Amino acid sequence: MGRLRYTISRLLQSIPVIVGVITITFLLTDAIPGDPVQIMLGPSPSAQQAEAIRAKFGLDQPLHVRYFNYLFDVVRLDLGTSLYYGVPVTQKIAERLPVTLYLLLSSFTFALLTAVPLGIISAKRRNKPTDHISRVVALFGVSTPSFWIGLMLIIVFSFWLDIFPATNLILPWESPANVDGAANQLGVIAKSIHHLILPTITLGTLQMAAFTRIERSSMLEVLGEEYVKLARAYGVSETKIVRKHAFRNAQLPLITLVGLQLTGALGGAVLTETVFSINGMGRLIITAIQNQDFQLVMGTTLVFGLVFVIGVILTDLSYAYVDPRVSFDGSE
Amino acid sequence: MSEPILKVENLKTQFFTEEGTVRAVDGISFEVNEGELVGLVGESGAGKSVATSSIMRLVEDPGEIVGGTVTYKGKKIVDFEEGPDGELRRSPEMLSNEEMRKQIRGREIAIIFQDPMEALNPVFKVGAQLREFIEINRDVSSKRAKEIAVDMLREVGIPEPEKRYESYPHQFSGGMRQRVIIAMALACEPDLIIADEPTTALDVTVEGQILDLVEDLQQKYNTSFVWVTHDLGVVAEICDRVNVMYLGEIIEQADVDDLFHATRHPYTEALLNSIPRPDQSVDELNPIKGVMPEAINPPSGCRFHTRCPEARTVCKEVHPTYQDVSDPDESSHFVSCVKYEDVGYDDAESLDTEATDAFSGGLVEARGDGQ
Ligand SMILES: Nc1ncnc2c1ncn2[C@@H]1O[C@H](COP(=O)(O)OP(=O)(O)OP(=O)(O)O)[C@@H](O)[C@H]1O
Ligand code: SF4
Ligand SMILES: [Mg+2]
Repeated sequence: MGRLRYTISRLLQSIPVIVGVITITFLLTDAIPGDPVQIMLGPSPSAQQAEAIRAKFGLDQPLHVRYFNYLFDVVRLDLGTSLYYGVPVTQKIAERLPVTLYLLLSSFTFALLTAVPLGIISAKRRNKPTDHISRVVALFGVSTPSFWIGLMLIIVFSFWLDIFPATNLILPWESPANVDGAANQLGVIAKSIHHLILPTITLGTLQMAAFTRIERSSMLEVLGEEYVKLARAYGVSETKIVRKHAFRNAQLPLITLVGLQLTGALGGAVLTETVFSINGMGRLIITAIQNQDFQLVMGTTLVFGLVFVIGVILTDLSYAYVDPRVSFDGSE
Repeated sequence: MSEPILKVENLKTQFFTEEGTVRAVDGISFEVNEGELVGLVGESGAGKSVATSSIMRLVEDPGEIVGGTVTYKGKKIVDFEEGPDGELRRSPEMLSNEEMRKQIRGREIAIIFQDPMEALNPVFKVGAQLREFIEINRDVSSKRAKEIAVDMLREVGIPEPEKRYESYPHQFSGGMRQRVIIAMALACEPDLIIADEPTTALDVTVEGQILDLVEDLQQKYNTSFVWVTHDLGVVAEICDRVNVMYLGEIIEQADVDDLFHATRHPYTEALLNSIPRPDQSVDELNPIKGVMPEAINPPSGCRFHTRCPEARTVCKEVHPTYQDVSDPDESSHFVSCVKYEDVGYDDAESLDTEATDAFSGGLVEARGDGQ
């Protein structure tokens, strides 16, 4: 089967990319200014102490040895110990990554659920009022910084109207015992969603705007295709043309954009987490940098890189799933 | 003869663009009888495609059908009447969009497009696309539609139709895709198929195969065809009657033999001189001089006068009447050229056009009388 074969080969192809990400992370961290030994031991360590630390962390080894050691450690999922927190880096990441993924998932869901219908309606009513309104909304969305949106939302909905909370995000997997006013897990999830609304809008508005524009333009393009005209000429209804004949093709550019926006959204997550005091990867990497916690910086950077690579793989796979031309070769 | 199944009268379609009104189809009339294969020929931009999409009522923005009547088996596909303040409006008999979609498109009139590479949806299996159209237009179950689809694929010469049913369009060659499109049209059992340059995008061998296939199937199913092309060779091969279009108008219409052997219109003649014929050698070919003017501001009088080798002053002033000029032994032969009218063509002075010099030279040479 074409799709299965494609999936496997695409996964295999990503191995060198992942090694590349690890390598770049290693080299970048090596280039960061500041001597880790100094940070650990204070401004004027004795030569002996410094020596001991260097030996302990393998910093006395030449670059390539350190590189292979690092590579080997990463494969064993050992990212070292955070100097600042004093716990393994992997533990910190395991704690924070799900939070950020939760935020990303929710804002992309929000963005897609609003952008796809909006884009399609704009395309169908091109240059009518609906289209103009959606254009203005999109322009606002792409040109407003997310932290500003976040602050405005907090001012209006938290301080003035007091509808949505601005801090203390509750995670859906927390135990009901730890959550005030939640009788069971469902209660926790409901509260979590309530908390997540403002951060989701903050992070998702930019994606929504970008997705709406691309959905509109690709839908317009597809609606002008010969196969759409053919469907019309065979008496297929306009609704079915949009829902079936044009829909899948029109999503192809969107899929690509979703993959690309993932990097942007990771950046946006750092800001959103800061504004809403959410303890996710974004705040973790900031803490790591501020404290020159080089193991933690390396670990979080690596995870950001990997999330992006996985995003690209998922993009490619969904693209191939939607468009058979990618996964099936021409001759059969 | 019985009533024609398609009757187009004075059909007008215009595009309202920022540069002005494009009179893409400007009052054409023709008929298609049952089982007849009618050709519609003309250069690129003559309005052939706009004419076909007007018949299907699929003209796209900014285009609009602004006048005329199209009657299909007594049903009014296009029909106008005069409103209270003298302007034209849709007549009550004209089919609604919903009626067009449910009663006409696919079910009664099917269309075949020029480019088979673009006409199939790349993300759906070929079989599923066929099945869907059959289901819509023949009111059969999905299972039955699949059987019909497979049979039809076999009929149009697709090897291993059961297997190919599951293939995606990109796994077919251009010729195979055009066969699929033809299968699609025939499988819906329409009484009329409009083929808009269905073989233009194919190479000559494949074109020949497709033409043979269409001729066979046409005889078997007795389907009527409107065959759009700019290739007179194709016309000669398959058409019964031919309409020649120039700049939004039909300027000559005749049985295929009469058109080739008793050519009346200088444009048709020029077209014929521009294609290779068995009785001519290649260097006697004579392409039409100049380019077809824009349909926004068509030339006054006869629209062909800017390129006509036989143009005279009167051609610029008088718009020729489209009239039957057939000989007694001919069936109808319509032409619109002032040569066949009593408006003083014979006494008028000849007109300098893009074509006159070079063109008449060529003609003389082709006749071989030396000068
Ligand atoms: N959407 C449109 N907007 C404006 N003008 C149009 C549009 N579609 C067609 N026209 C104009 O209508 C005229 C006829 O076009 P049409 O496509 O019918 O030509 P054709 O005879 O089918 O040519 P070809 O052999 O290239 O297919 C041309 O002048 C063209 O510019
Ligand atoms: S009317 Fe005049 S210009 Fe037009 S085709 Fe006849 S001779 Fe040529
Ligand atoms: Mg055309």
